[in-house]
Amino acid sequence: MTRFLFFIDSLSAWVGKAFAWLILVLTFGVSYEVFVRYVLGRPTTWAFDMSYINYGALFLMAGAYTLSRNGHVRADVVYRFWRPRMQASMDLALYILFFLPAVVAFMYSGWLYAGASIQFREVSIFSPAGVPVFPLKALIPVTGALLLCQGVAEVIRCILCIRSGRWPQRLHDVEEIEAQLLREREAGAAEPSAHEGTGV
Amino acid sequence: MTDPQVGMFMLGLFIFIIMLGFPIAFTLIAMGVGFGFYAYYTPGQPILDNRIFSLLVQKTFEVTSNDVLTAVPLFLFMGYVVERANILDRLFRSLQIAAKNVPGSLAVATLLTCAMFATATGIVGAVVTLMGLLAFPAMLRAGYDVKLSAGVVCAGGCLGILIPPSILLIVYAATAGISAVKLYAAAMIPGFLLASLYVVYVIGRAILNPALCPKLPAEETNVPLAEVVRTLLTSFFPLAALILSVLGAILLGLATPSEAAGAGALASLVLAAAYGALNFTMLRDSVFLTARATAMVCYLFIGSWTFASVFALLGGQGVIERFFLGLNLSPTMFLIFTQAIIFLLGWPLEWTEIIIIFVPIFLPLLDNFGIDPIFFGILVALNTQTAFNTPPVAMAAFYLKGVAPPHVTLADIFKGALPFVFMVFLSMALVYIFPGLALWLPDYLYTPR
Repeated sequence: MTRFLFFIDSLSAWVGKAFAWLILVLTFGVSYEVFVRYVLGRPTTWAFDMSYINYGALFLMAGAYTLSRNGHVRADVVYRFWRPRMQASMDLALYILFFLPAVVAFMYSGWLYAGASIQFREVSIFSPAGVPVFPLKALIPVTGALLLCQGVAEVIRCILCIRSGRWPQRLHDVEEIEAQLLREREAGAAEPSAHEGTGV
Repeated sequence: MTDPQVGMFMLGLFIFIIMLGFPIAFTLIAMGVGFGFYAYYTPGQPILDNRIFSLLVQKTFEVTSNDVLTAVPLFLFMGYVVERANILDRLFRSLQIAAKNVPGSLAVATLLTCAMFATATGIVGAVVTLMGLLAFPAMLRAGYDVKLSAGVVCAGGCLGILIPPSILLIVYAATAGISAVKLYAAAMIPGFLLASLYVVYVIGRAILNPALCPKLPAEETNVPLAEVVRTLLTSFFPLAALILSVLGAILLGLATPSEAAGAGALASLVLAAAYGALNFTMLRDSVFLTARATAMVCYLFIGSWTFASVFALLGGQGVIERFFLGLNLSPTMFLIFTQAIIFLLGWPLEWTEIIIIFVPIFLPLLDNFGIDPIFFGILVALNTQTAFNTPPVAMAAFYLKGVAPPHVTLADIFKGALPFVFMVFLSMALVYIFPGLALWLPDYLYTPR
C-alpha cells in the first residue's frame, strides 16, 4: 500500500515539477515583450496569450503536486491540536464526502469543455494572433484526473494513519525556508503532518 | 427551505467545515458543486445535464485567463530567488552600521532590513525566520529587551505583504476587479507610513528607556565612513534599485503589474548571479516552491469564484445585503463593523482566505455606503498585518518562536508584537481620517489633466 501511495505521490510531483519550469518561459517571455515593446517600440501580438497560457498550465498542473505536499491551505486552528488519528479520521470522511465527488465533477466538466475546444481547434480570443488555447483547456480534465489519483493517495494516507496512529512519512522534497529552518531546529520532535503553510 | 435559507445554510456549513481543518480550496469547490447542483436542478432533468458543471469549468478558465493573477507566480518567483540570493546578511550588516548613531540602532536596522527584504520577497515566513536567526540573536547579545526585539522582527517581517509590489494587493485587485496599478499607488504612502510609525515607536522607546536598547560597544560601531558607503553600495542599493524599478515601471504606467513582475523576476536572477548565489539547486527550489504557492492561491480562487456564484444564485448574497442595509449603519459604522470582522477573522485564518473568500462578501455593499473599493482595500491590507501577530494563529510569532533561543517564550513574543498591532490600528485610523493618504497618489498619477 505504501508503495502504491509513493507511486501516486511521485507521479503528481513529477508532473507538477515538469510544469513548474514554465515559470522560466513566463519570465523570459514577459521580459522579451517588455523589451520589444518599451525599448524597440514593436509589441508582439501574442504576449498576453503566452503569459496566461503558461501561468494557467503552471498552476493547474501543480494542484495535485501541492496536495501531495499537504500544501493547500487549511484553517488548522483546531486541527493542529488533534491527535493524528483524529486528524486522519476527519480528513478521511471529508476526502470521501467532499473531495472525491468534487474532483470527479471537475474532471467531467473539464472533459466536456476541453472536448468541444479540441474539436474546433479553438484559438485565443484575446488577440488576433490566433494562439491555440485548446491545449490549455485540455489540461483541465487532466488536472481533474491527477487530483483524483492524489485524492485516492490521501485517502490511503488517512487509512494508514488511523491504523498506526501516526502520519506516514512523505517523500522528501524542497521545503519553504521557514519550514526547513524550523525542522532543523526541532529535529526529532517534528510532526510531519502539520500543514506546511506557504508563508506567502 | 427557501433558496436564500439554503444559501445561508451553505455559508454556515462552509464555516463549520473549514474549522475542521480540511483544505479550504476543495471545501469551496465541493460545496459550490453540491449546492449549485441543487440550485440548478429542475425535476426530470438528467443528472449530468446540470448547469453547475459548465459553471465550474468556466470559473476555472476565468482564473487561468485572468490578466492580473498572471503576476502572482512571477512575483512569487522573484521573491523565492531574492530569498536565496545571499543578500540578507549583507543588507542587515550595512544598515546596521549605517544606523549606528540612531537610538536603538540594531532594532531600527532590523526593521529597515525586514521592510526592504520583505518588500522584495513578499514572503512573510521566510523573512521572520531568517531575521529570527540573524537579527534577533544579535539584538539579544547586545542586551536588547527580549519583547521589543521579538516585536520588531515579527512586525517588520509582515510589511512585505503591505508595501507594493505585494501579492496581497494583486490578489485583492483580482478579487475586487479593480486596477492593481491604482491599488499599488494607493498602498505606497500607507505602507511607508506604517513602517515609519514602527521606526518612530522603536526610537521613542529607546530614548525614553535607554536600558531597553543598550548602546553597542565601540569596536562594533567604529566603522569608517568609506566602509559604510561601500557596504551600502553593494547590498542596499542593488536591492533598492530592483524594487524601485519594478514599482516605478508599474506606477508610472510604463508596464502592467505582470510585465513588471516578469522583468523583476529576470532582474532578481541577475542579482542572484551577481552575488554568486545562482546555481541549479536554488533555481530548482525556487521553481518548485513557486508552483506550489501559485497553486495554493489559484485553487482558492477557483473554489471561491464557484462558491460565490452559487451563493449569489441561491440569494444568499441578497440576504447579507439586506441584513447590512437593514442595520441602518452610517458609512463609518459600516467600515468599523467590517474591519472588526476582518480583524477577528485574522485570528484563525491567514490573509489568503480572508481576501479571497470573505472580503468578496463585503465588496458589493461598498457602493451602498459610497466607499471606494481602493480605499477599503488599503484598510483591509493594513488590517491583515495584525493577522500574523494575533493568537491563536499568529504565524509570525510561531515562526520566530521556532527559531528563537529556548528562553524566549511565546508570551514574550505576543507581548512584544502587541504595541505594533496598535501601530497598525493607529495607521488605519490615520488613513480613515485622512483618506488622501491612500487616494491622493493614484489620483495624482492617473487622473488626466
